[in-house]
Amino acid sequence: MVFLSFVKKIKVAALVAAVLLHGPLFAAQMESAHDLISKMAKASRELNYQGLFTYEYRGNLTSVKLTHAVQDGQIYERMQHMDGVQRNALRRTDNVDCLRTGDMLLRGSAYRLNDQSYARLEDFYEFHIKGQGRIANRQVVMIHVLPKDKHRYGYVVAIDKESGLLLQSVLMSHTGKPLERFQFVDIQIGGSMAELGFDSEASDFSDVALDQGNCIDSNSQITTSASRWSTQWMPPGFVMASHKLVDNQGQESMMFTDGLAVFSVFIDIDKARSLPAIEANLGATVAVLTKAEINNQEYAICVVGEIPRATASQIASAISMSSPPPPSSPASSSPSPSPLTSKSPLP
Amino acid sequence: MSDHKERLDQSLSALMDGEATDMELHRLLKEVSEGSELRDKWKRYHMVSSALKGDAAITPIDYSAAISAAIDEESSHRQSVLAGFVGSAGRFAIAASVALVAVLGVQQLNSPLDSVAPVSEFAGIEQVDEENVGPAIQFPSGFQPIINARTVSAGGNNKSSQFVTPVIEVRQQAERNYSEAQLRAYMNDVMARHSNHAALNSNQGMLPFARLNEAEAAAEKE
Repeated sequence: MVFLSFVKKIKVAALVAAVLLHGPLFAAQMESAHDLISKMAKASRELNYQGLFTYEYRGNLTSVKLTHAVQDGQIYERMQHMDGVQRNALRRTDNVDCLRTGDMLLRGSAYRLNDQSYARLEDFYEFHIKGQGRIANRQVVMIHVLPKDKHRYGYVVAIDKESGLLLQSVLMSHTGKPLERFQFVDIQIGGSMAELGFDSEASDFSDVALDQGNCIDSNSQITTSASRWSTQWMPPGFVMASHKLVDNQGQESMMFTDGLAVFSVFIDIDKARSLPAIEANLGATVAVLTKAEINNQEYAICVVGEIPRATASQIASAISMSSPPPPSSPASSSPSPSPLTSKSPLP
Repeated sequence: MSDHKERLDQSLSALMDGEATDMELHRLLKEVSEGSELRDKWKRYHMVSSALKGDAAITPIDYSAAISAAIDEESSHRQSVLAGFVGSAGRFAIAASVALVAVLGVQQLNSPLDSVAPVSEFAGIEQVDEENVGPAIQFPSGFQPIINARTVSAGGNNKSSQFVTPVIEVRQQAERNYSEAQLRAYMNDVMARHSNHAALNSNQGMLPFARLNEAEAAAEKE
């Protein structure tokens, strides 16, 4: 029957069309969520703005006034806690064009891990636009950022439609519980340095050391060769963003980021004797302190960050010494990488 | 009239009104294919319905037998390669779209963020690490002063909050051969340093500084 086969053809055509159309539409949505995220990274750095935001975790709430301005290629920031004791923080960053590892990752540039592999944010997170809303009296796009593995948390972020500024960021556990939340309640975008009140603080700012260094271009990365320590295991996607050699307190530190989540690793000699292996958490921040004995020298290794506790423990227990300690150390000089005896607080 | 028939009649009426459930439709189709009694009834209902609506042509002619005979004859033409391909493509398209829907559906279901807890739940959050159910010991007095300091500095306002929980929760397995003050100082120090790191090197700007409480901020200045 001609009629029946005609109907069937229409059905097939409609289905094929539906399948074909659905793909590109879906991809377009994914792309624009990711575009918004990279727009956000740019906006929060390059715009002038002043606003009040709240930070809350586990029933604790603080409010903070944040002012951000760019002049002559330098970034000026002021942060004032509106409750509790008087606390102000000033920050001056030398170069508005200075991109750090986190920026690179968030802007969607492929960050080169080595000659073969690249780290991309979208390899480790899914981005979904979840509609629109209103925050701080501004129209926002809500985006859910879902981790693809158990080694990082997800986020619910709200990005201002007009400016691209991040107006809300909620860190979500794997079970969908909010761990902490930043949210602007009021924000003014634009305004000169004088209008933002920075002029009166010129002298204060001159006392503030410039934050510089760790700027990277798309082909470079922070070198780890200077460190005696190496990480035998790292959650996928995390790259080193900064590294500080032993300071006067005998502490060495490294910082890693996947573009959204950040964690730090601290290695102490002095404090190892007096501290136990312990796990602690403050809001969404977890700290895992383990002790390791290498060449008869005890070290305290502490992983701190907004990452799941299990991940932090795993990182902490996978840190080992890659080269012999300097002669000043009481440890014997063993030329080969030392196996690590880690005393993890985990059962 | 048996129960079964009665139910079928009810289902048939429902189908006439377009209110039959899938189950009923299934049962009716099965019954119709087996015997002609229900089919006749279906025809009669439609004739009555048409008559009531005043439709002109009420013809008691049954096309169904002729149509099914025609379809049987037609079936030989459908064996052509193209038709077979189109047919299987259709089936594939259906399967593919079902699979797509299933994948999308699962993604939606699995997304934990879809069940975003209301703001009020912030008060009572317990961070439970499923992978990690060791004995959690609330640090008895060690970190308490952080909260106290905050309470005092806030002019006693926070004291009225019923949600005050220890700021730093500690799991501990080692023996207590250290001083709590030392541990507190160390924790404050590393958290302050971490916030500083995060503010500098991530794109959160100064937001990580907001995580610092007063004790940590003091540690940072030292």
